[in-house]
Amino acid sequence: MAELKEIKRKLEEIERLIRAEDLWEPVGHTPMPEIPDLRNWDMRLLKTYKPFYAPFCDLCCLCTFGKCDLTEDRRGACGIDIATQQARMVLLACLIGCSCHTAHGAHILDYLIEKHGPDKKIDLGRMIELEAPNIRTVLGLKPETLGDLKIAIEYVYKEITHLLDSAHTGQEGSYLDFESKALHAGMLDHVGMEAADIAQIVGFGYPTSVAETPMVDLGWGAIDRTKPVILVVGHNPATSAEITDYLRENNLYDKVEVGGICCTALEATRYSDRAKVVGPLSRQLFFLRTGIADVIMTDEQCIRADTPIEASKAGSALIATLDKAMYGLPDATEMATEEIIKQMVEEKKHFAILDPGKAAEVAVKVAMKIAPQRKKEWISEEEAKGLAERCTDCGMCERVCPNLFSIGDGITEIAKNNNFDLIREQFNLCIGCGKCEQECPREIPIFKIMQTAASKESWKIRSGRGPIMDTEIRNVGASITLGTIPGVVAFVGCSNYPDIEDIAEMVEEFARRKYIVVVSGCAAMVAGMKKDAEGKNIYEKYPPDFDAGGVVNVGSCVANCHISGAAIKIANIFASLPLRANYEVMADYTISRVGACGVAWGAYSQKAAAIATGCNRLGIPVILGPHSAKYRRLYLSRKEEDDWRVMDARIKKIVDTKEPSPEHLAYVCETKEKVMVTIPKLCIRKNDTPQGRAIKLNHYISLYKKYMGGGLPEDLHLFVRRDADIPIVYKKEVRVYLKEIDWKPKEPVGLPTMIGTYPTKVPVDSVIH
Amino acid sequence: MSATVPLHRVNVLTGIKSARQIEDPAEYGKLIKKAKRPLLVLGPLLLKWSLDGRLLMEYAFEIAKSASIPICATAHVKGKMIEAGVKPDSEYDVVEIINALKDPDWIGVKKEGNHDLVIFFGIRSDFAEQGLSVLKHFAPHLKTMTLCKFYFPNADYSLPNIRKDEKWKEFIETLIANLKEKE
Repeated sequence: MAELKEIKRKLEEIERLIRAEDLWEPVGHTPMPEIPDLRNWDMRLLKTYKPFYAPFCDLCCLCTFGKCDLTEDRRGACGIDIATQQARMVLLACLIGCSCHTAHGAHILDYLIEKHGPDKKIDLGRMIELEAPNIRTVLGLKPETLGDLKIAIEYVYKEITHLLDSAHTGQEGSYLDFESKALHAGMLDHVGMEAADIAQIVGFGYPTSVAETPMVDLGWGAIDRTKPVILVVGHNPATSAEITDYLRENNLYDKVEVGGICCTALEATRYSDRAKVVGPLSRQLFFLRTGIADVIMTDEQCIRADTPIEASKAGSALIATLDKAMYGLPDATEMATEEIIKQMVEEKKHFAILDPGKAAEVAVKVAMKIAPQRKKEWISEEEAKGLAERCTDCGMCERVCPNLFSIGDGITEIAKNNNFDLIREQFNLCIGCGKCEQECPREIPIFKIMQTAASKESWKIRSGRGPIMDTEIRNVGASITLGTIPGVVAFVGCSNYPDIEDIAEMVEEFARRKYIVVVSGCAAMVAGMKKDAEGKNIYEKYPPDFDAGGVVNVGSCVANCHISGAAIKIANIFASLPLRANYEVMADYTISRVGACGVAWGAYSQKAAAIATGCNRLGIPVILGPHSAKYRRLYLSRKEEDDWRVMDARIKKIVDTKEPSPEHLAYVCETKEKVMVTIPKLCIRKNDTPQGRAIKLNHYISLYKKYMGGGLPEDLHLFVRRDADIPIVYKKEVRVYLKEIDWKPKEPVGLPTMIGTYPTKVPVDSVIH
Repeated sequence: MSATVPLHRVNVLTGIKSARQIEDPAEYGKLIKKAKRPLLVLGPLLLKWSLDGRLLMEYAFEIAKSASIPICATAHVKGKMIEAGVKPDSEYDVVEIINALKDPDWIGVKKEGNHDLVIFFGIRSDFAEQGLSVLKHFAPHLKTMTLCKFYFPNADYSLPNIRKDEKWKEFIETLIANLKEKE
């Protein structure tokens, strides 16, 4: 009885928070879901896409019972086994990622509410009525003001606490339940990101409801070193916006250069098209060591832990602007501005300043004072050769390189042959960790040598545009769900690449083939860092529309919510399925009918783990690069053996399609070539019309022939339902192959859905529009 | 059990169960010959790496031929194999073949049952090490072996770190000669 009362109280509280009485849509089955509420959906996914664990370690070292050896069926002192321990680590990673985005959102929201008040209306422009697809779907709330976004943030906070609790020693003993919790954390991450980015768009007046956003400068060569230079690093835009305001108000914009690294750079260019993107995360240490930045301003997330040390070495001043990373620096937030400036300039002191306005003023004034003293020249090729001659080719640099380069070969080529080609190539591929230099017993300044060799080329990048417009969804919804636009491919994530040029090549390949290509974060930067023979990069060659053959930069890390948001919009705007607190229906629609696929080729961060896992819960498969095997977990099927049954909602019957679409939910590829053939396959959906399927298979086959060296894919027969699915160009060849293997045609499913194939409160009829 | 530190430090020893380091190609040969259903998994580095001007892929073919070991081509290896006139017995990506190998009841690439010895060759070392970890923990029914010039802690049998390519070449060539010898 007491339990029932508690449930009723909780429900009433949820109804109050989401204003259930507002009848914009009926409230679905899972408003503000808690851990168990979507568990059955997760278990259905995990039945087909089983967790695949690659343990990073044989042991568990999390509590004082341990270290516990988990090899050969051993369990830890708390009873945990190796699979469950991996799942627990995955959950922790997803929680870190989700916390980063949500805390970013909370901070920026508080800052903007202070500026504009909680009642500031959410208005994303006349092309966007469905402003918050993730928040509406997950919470059931239609946020109307900045203050409403706090409801979403507080909901995520609460869920994070419960999820983190479950990772305590002992307790949860099922890897599947830990995975369900990780999927929950991933979904929450998209809510946190969405609250953050909507707040930013509304509060800072970022571009919205427009595709044609400004083109801005990209590359460290674009920074004008003759001016005072301020470098912003991280993700939180409060400070960079204040810098822009200060420069504008004081008529200094022509006199000071503002550049950024990582997502803060993308945010800065959404606020002002005069800001510049230095580059992705992999250029951070390299750029810090050039000493070009007079003032470095860190905020949060992807910033180096040794920034104060690097800043001091390079002669740059440092201001830590957020509590997430204060580096043990004195907190000068309350100190008089002129006194801070004096100590920074005269005593070369670094400070934490947590007031963005004050930090901005200090940064500009300090940069202008110290820039004239900055040593702006780098070592010559001759000096670099002299340094390289100290190398004994001991191989220590090679041992520690996460990208497995023979740095020593690059250095000895300079020493012996005065040839900088190899080190230049290595610089391009370098992920910028600096381990090689740290390990060198001869203390050779490898980054300095790289500076000499590195290309000073610059490019253009289209600044992030935020949400996909409702009008665009109306235009492409039918083509995506029928398959005639062969897929939506999102290149997202960080820059821990095996080869930095891969992203630009992949974007080009799929844009050319009329997929819709979406980019964000560091991937959006490196996508632009390659020019064709005419000197154009992908932003200059392809339109910025969410349409076949378009390349859309949604923005920073938190703008990834607009990619999941676009999938939800297709279900809601195009297919007219109610989204309010209706997560299962949205996710089911995506996995059954929206040919979308994410590629996180250089993912390194826990945020990338959370984003990808959130996409997975929503039914979007994700391909990861080889470094990402270290995330420990994938979601794989065994295509010829797993459960490919769906409900045909038209006839209310369960049908065994035997069709592995999409084949995996989280997958790692070793090479770019393999990604090229995996993308078209993961965009196949059971709902494809014969015409759509033929288009998708045309790309699958032609990419297979191009990158895998000819022939037909060995699993092609699994995706051909009837003769009409075979692309015309390959008709003859495919028919011969199908005859050889005694292929039999299958009836396509009228209206495929997973609803009805697992225990759920959602009726099958709710997927029919 | 071995205390050897891997050449690529990304493959740090992170546990208590690590590969037996074998320097004698004859011992490697014996282990391969003893296997009932070995499998050779080939990675894309074989298309890049060469020893004395001879592509490593050619060595791989010779190993497969000498001991009648079926080949699984991963990544984009298949196309180059076909160009070289060798048809792989199967084509899976690394995570796919490992996912299948994990299952003791899998029918194997020759449909004769799962493999008892899986030899990895030409996969980037950090990626291979993670894959080997999967099999170390979840495939007690099989043994794993590596042929690259680095020490792989998560394998059952691994070469030591070999600094000089000539020494690696000698190992591979002696192994091939050994495999060609009739018992």
